[in-house]
Amino acid sequence: MKVGLFVPCYVDAIYPEVGVMTYKLLRSLGVDVDYPEKQTCCGQPMGNAGFEKLAVPLAQKYDDLFRNFDYVVAPSVSCAAYVRVYHPALLKGKSPMHECVASKKTVDLVEFLHDILKVKSLPSKFPHKVSLHNSCHGVRELGLSSPSERNIPKFNKIIDLLNLVEGIEVVEPERPDECCGFGGMFSVEETAVSLRMGKDKLRRHIATGAEYITGPDSSCLMHMGGVAKKMGLNIKFIHIAEILAAGI
Amino acid sequence: MSTKHSKYAEDYLKDDPVVDRHDKTFFGVREKRDRMAHDLPEWEQLREAADNIKRHTVTHLADYLEQFEANATKNGIHVHWAKDADEYNDIVLRILQKHNVKKVVKSKSMLTEECHLNENLEKNGVEVIETDLGERILQMMQLAPSHIVMPALHVHREQIGDCFREKIPGTTESNDPTYLTHVARLHLRQQFMEAGAGMTGANFGIASKGEVVVCTNEGNADMSTSMPKLHIVSMGIEKLIPDYSAMAVFQRLLARSGTGQETTVYTSHFRGPRPGGEMHIVLVDNGRSDILGNQEHWQTLKCMRCGACMNTCPVYRRSSGYSYTYFIPGPIGVNLGMLRDSNHYYDNVSACTLCCSCDNVCPVRVDLSKQIYRWRQELDELGHADALKKFMSKRMAWMFNHTGVYNGALSMAKMMNWMPRWILNSKMNPWAYGHEMMKFPKKSFHKIWKKMKDEK
Amino acid sequence: MSSRDNILNALRNNVCETYEKPDLTQIKPVVFDNPLEHFKLKATTTAGAKLIEMDTDENLDDIVRRAYPDAKIIASNLQGVTAQLNPDTVNEAQELAAADVGVIQGDFGVAENACVWIPQTMKEKAICFASEFLVILLDKKNIVNNMHEAYERVEASKDYFQQYKFGTFISGPSKTADIESALVYGAQAARGVTIVLV
Repeated sequence: MKVGLFVPCYVDAIYPEVGVMTYKLLRSLGVDVDYPEKQTCCGQPMGNAGFEKLAVPLAQKYDDLFRNFDYVVAPSVSCAAYVRVYHPALLKGKSPMHECVASKKTVDLVEFLHDILKVKSLPSKFPHKVSLHNSCHGVRELGLSSPSERNIPKFNKIIDLLNLVEGIEVVEPERPDECCGFGGMFSVEETAVSLRMGKDKLRRHIATGAEYITGPDSSCLMHMGGVAKKMGLNIKFIHIAEILAAGI
Repeated sequence: MSTKHSKYAEDYLKDDPVVDRHDKTFFGVREKRDRMAHDLPEWEQLREAADNIKRHTVTHLADYLEQFEANATKNGIHVHWAKDADEYNDIVLRILQKHNVKKVVKSKSMLTEECHLNENLEKNGVEVIETDLGERILQMMQLAPSHIVMPALHVHREQIGDCFREKIPGTTESNDPTYLTHVARLHLRQQFMEAGAGMTGANFGIASKGEVVVCTNEGNADMSTSMPKLHIVSMGIEKLIPDYSAMAVFQRLLARSGTGQETTVYTSHFRGPRPGGEMHIVLVDNGRSDILGNQEHWQTLKCMRCGACMNTCPVYRRSSGYSYTYFIPGPIGVNLGMLRDSNHYYDNVSACTLCCSCDNVCPVRVDLSKQIYRWRQELDELGHADALKKFMSKRMAWMFNHTGVYNGALSMAKMMNWMPRWILNSKMNPWAYGHEMMKFPKKSFHKIWKKMKDEK
Repeated sequence: MSSRDNILNALRNNVCETYEKPDLTQIKPVVFDNPLEHFKLKATTTAGAKLIEMDTDENLDDIVRRAYPDAKIIASNLQGVTAQLNPDTVNEAQELAAADVGVIQGDFGVAENACVWIPQTMKEKAICFASEFLVILLDKKNIVNNMHEAYERVEASKDYFQQYKFGTFISGPSKTADIESALVYGAQAARGVTIVLV
């Protein structure tokens, strides 16, 4: 099995350690991973802002770079969701040579570990209490957990994985899958609402008594982290890849 | 980079306790709705059925309307057709004038808001009394609804008490909700007695029967139609469903989704005039047939106006109905406003984080957030795209499309760490308004990878 | 062209794709081991109604008095109820607003939500809404599980909508939460409902 690693632009630039830990984790599980160096961005920021057309060449490039892998793994749910949910429509009739292929093979790190590798144990240790941030696109577009709105059997693939880590205590905040208010361009266009949502979310995470807020998407963590720091709140942020690979 | 919604919201958000209460109130309704959904094993089956019934009905609407009209006429109901709001207002006024009606009691109808019926009737000398308690409070306070199902929950009891003391003689100093409701009860009873006509909306029209169904908790639609001899129903053409087996599905979904109740107190079926009275149904298009032709957005016609998408919307809960420029707020309102007039209501398209919660509560499974995403794509062509956003998007796309430029930018990124805080935190940087800037690492993943690759 | 034809034509021309009518028999709705017990539970909790069971030696007047001992003006057209107002013979519906208690016959109850189907069997339906309090007589044998069964039953009956063109499901007293979400009984219609199981 050949896996392409997709490290989305903002992870590349701001949170490289998330990419590194994802790579280490996959390697430790015996996965053959490659990282096509020409990759940049999936196009989500432009799409959500209303300039999907600008994302078409990026979707095409993504498809070219990743189409020959068995899976593409991204440690960021909103990017993986954008590729999977929106790329097929972006490339429909646009690509002269082929249909959109890489989109179907793209998974978030959690899905890859939980559904494809079916990981049942990890050598990692993280003796801390963490509050899980269930990012919206993970919950409602990738199906990493049962959305609180739906009457379907309760599950949470992220918690399943985190519970494999020795010493960890995983909790969820009140309103476990309410949006943190990031929303890409939303955070700079609807600043007041975005910040208010971020503060509300932080308050609920902090009320769990956790040391860390963790999640499968660094953009939500970046938003909450920025708000927390500005407010002088004492809580740490960590991507789940860093926990799952802790001690590897 | 600010839409009217974002500006109104910013203003609203200055009062923390008010926002807190608004958010808690409507999230509370959402939680009640969740309990209903989780209590019913067949919940998702019902949503699927409702979705499919509506898809079927709105794509065969002409046939069902003809069937509805034939059956209603057989039942002794006068059926009218209105292409737009003006024609609708004329029809209603003519019926009222023919019966020499000077006062109308009216139960809640979003269609009448859409067509500005009340203003029109008042202009022509007909007094209109809203009879839903929330609507009546707003009418007396001269405020617009802030929510389509619970229109006055944003108003505080003290304000209501003050309003009643001014408008309803004999009201005492108490602001207790039970007392105030009782004051309104007595006041409205008088109105029911005096009115010459009762007007209702229609939650559903049943084609196979030629009847309309109106659901309320207060019984005000029933009071409005029990005393006056004349009953006028205003019904958007999309409210039609085929038959009783479909009605069962919607009856079970409506109150559970909207207010978190198993049923509304009254589910009333009107199949003809009162003894010695007259019943009219005005079928209103007002843009609906155009929506049907809109490939991207026709599914908004499935909406039954339960309000669940507002209650769950994290943006609605923190910005309130008045921050939206269309009279229907929240996710469905963003979409319906654009369909009404995209050159007028585009300011609400920003009011969405694309969290997709609304898609999952909607009992008829309208893909609300996907539609808002689509509207955002259309804004540029309509000439309403935000210039700064467009500039930023173009710049980003250019950078991402050129790997060399991208890599250059990556190595530049860490320079940000040495920029003085006052520049980063200036107004030029909306991110820094509420966020401390992130610290850029020494090396990007791209750089680290090159090293890791060599060590591999 | 008339607006009617205009609208119908537009609808026919604008349809992009059509969908078949779904098969609703696929829905497997909730049923109860004991529908009557569930009905009673829902009626007295979420619906906010009172419930009394008629004793064998009681007559209808006794029952009404038991339910509302202070009532002075009773409205009803039911045989066996002593009433001061009769919805079949009042001159105007408005007169029924004076009733302390209206006594009406329910047709069947719905276990899932405590709705009672009230087909109009009186000239002035105002009795069902304008009376301060409402007594609904209901045969305890007539309880269905859910709204699917309820509508099947309404569909099947030839009796409803014949003389009078109205029927309503009522679940407890009129209520509102329009002022600060505080639940208040008795918004516009009946302030209290007592279901008498016969």
